Amino acid sequence: MKTHCSKDALLTGVNTVQKAVSGKNVEPDLQSIFLRAEAGKLIFLATDMEIGIRCEVPAETETEGTLLLPAKLFSDIVRKLPDTQITLESQAESANLEYYQSQIFLKGYDPEQFPLLPDLLDPVSFSLPSESFKTMIRETLIAAAQEESRPIFKGLLLEMEGSVLRLIATDTHRLAYSQSGIDNPNGLDFSGIVPSKTMSEIYRLLKDDDDSITVRFTGSHVSFQFGAVHLLTRLIEGQFPNYKQVIPSSCRTKIRLLVKDLMESVERASLLARESSAGVSLVRLEISGDLLKIEHTTDIGKISEQLSIEKEGADITISFNSRFILDVLRVLPSDQMRFELSGPQSAAIIRTPADENYLYLLLPVRTN
Amino acid sequence: MSQLTQAISEVQERLGSLQDEIERLKRYVEALEEENIRLKRELCAVPEQETNRVIANAERLQGVGRENLMKLYREGFHVCHLHFGQPLEDGDCLFCRAFLRRD
Repeated sequence: MKTHCSKDALLTGVNTVQKAVSGKNVEPDLQSIFLRAEAGKLIFLATDMEIGIRCEVPAETETEGTLLLPAKLFSDIVRKLPDTQITLESQAESANLEYYQSQIFLKGYDPEQFPLLPDLLDPVSFSLPSESFKTMIRETLIAAAQEESRPIFKGLLLEMEGSVLRLIATDTHRLAYSQSGIDNPNGLDFSGIVPSKTMSEIYRLLKDDDDSITVRFTGSHVSFQFGAVHLLTRLIEGQFPNYKQVIPSSCRTKIRLLVKDLMESVERASLLARESSAGVSLVRLEISGDLLKIEHTTDIGKISEQLSIEKEGADITISFNSRFILDVLRVLPSDQMRFELSGPQSAAIIRTPADENYLYLLLPVRTN
Repeated sequence: MSQLTQAISEVQERLGSLQDEIERLKRYVEALEEENIRLKRELCAVPEQETNRVIANAERLQGVGRENLMKLYREGFHVCHLHFGQPLEDGDCLFCRAFLRRD
């Protein structure tokens, strides 16, 4: 194999596939990046057997071939290369990188050992604008569980029903739901739990100039293709809980206020929030008349702020985990927000006033 | 010839007798079936008072069950099917709350 490409192209390749390189596996082929030079392009591949990422970058290939190189060392070397044309040549299982009058020789592994990503058999597919999908991921990923014994909560439910595509995530204390209209002329239905790591990678890799994303799925795998990137992942096995039953259909109090105002106040209040025995930082919201009072008293100080709001319904005082509120305020795609409350111990809903396609449901914290 | 005629007459007579016997048996079977249905009805019939008692008992048990689940949840354990019996960690559970609300 012998190919020539820019340092930027090499860097794009390693940066794109690096999150699929296994960090835990002791198998050297899973801690490696597979390279295949073809006419006009260099293909990068990495997998940890749960997620696999493939990326193509432009290259001038003299001789087609493959290489399997240790991911960390190769990535570190690429990052330190000068900003010039690089020649990458295989010598048996090793690689030779040449630039200016210099060269780096790097030992690799037998490319035949690399587990190539499987092709999905008879996949069903649909496409949607990448911007919509990126927004949906951003709005829902926040509610996926980080540490959870049940794997289903470490994933996002991707559900297609009729002309609606939904993403739902929950850690059982909160739930984020986002939906978008899609063209589905064939009336396809799909439901699968995609690992949050995969969704996070898609969010990271989707560029503003990627027009659309194509999703292909079978019963056990789903793949996402956008730009020069192809990402394949195994679906999480299990039954996602019935999320519809936890969404309240009515509320007793509705308030409207500015996202920025609430976010800054809660951030200030959470600075003083004393860590409770459960390790939860609480923020107390007192809604009375046209004011929202945010108060917090701790051993080290006290904070009291008031925000102007528009209110419909009864006054209420309610406490939340401040992190759960801040998480959603940081991703709301609007200046204004709507808070729907049903009582001091009932789940509350946060929405944006102009968008019925998104909601964030969170439980209050019981206080004495 | 007359012997043959007599034999045919005897056969005809026996066939007629069998026909009568079959008709009698058919009526008897019908009567038995009706009796069977009536007896089954009588056997399965539960007085209205008994039905009400069973319903009331079921409602009482359901109430007790719900109270027990509420108590279990208040004491810090999941009652949703996802984590039933496991300790509640990091606060309330959306699915337990929805389950108790619906129950």
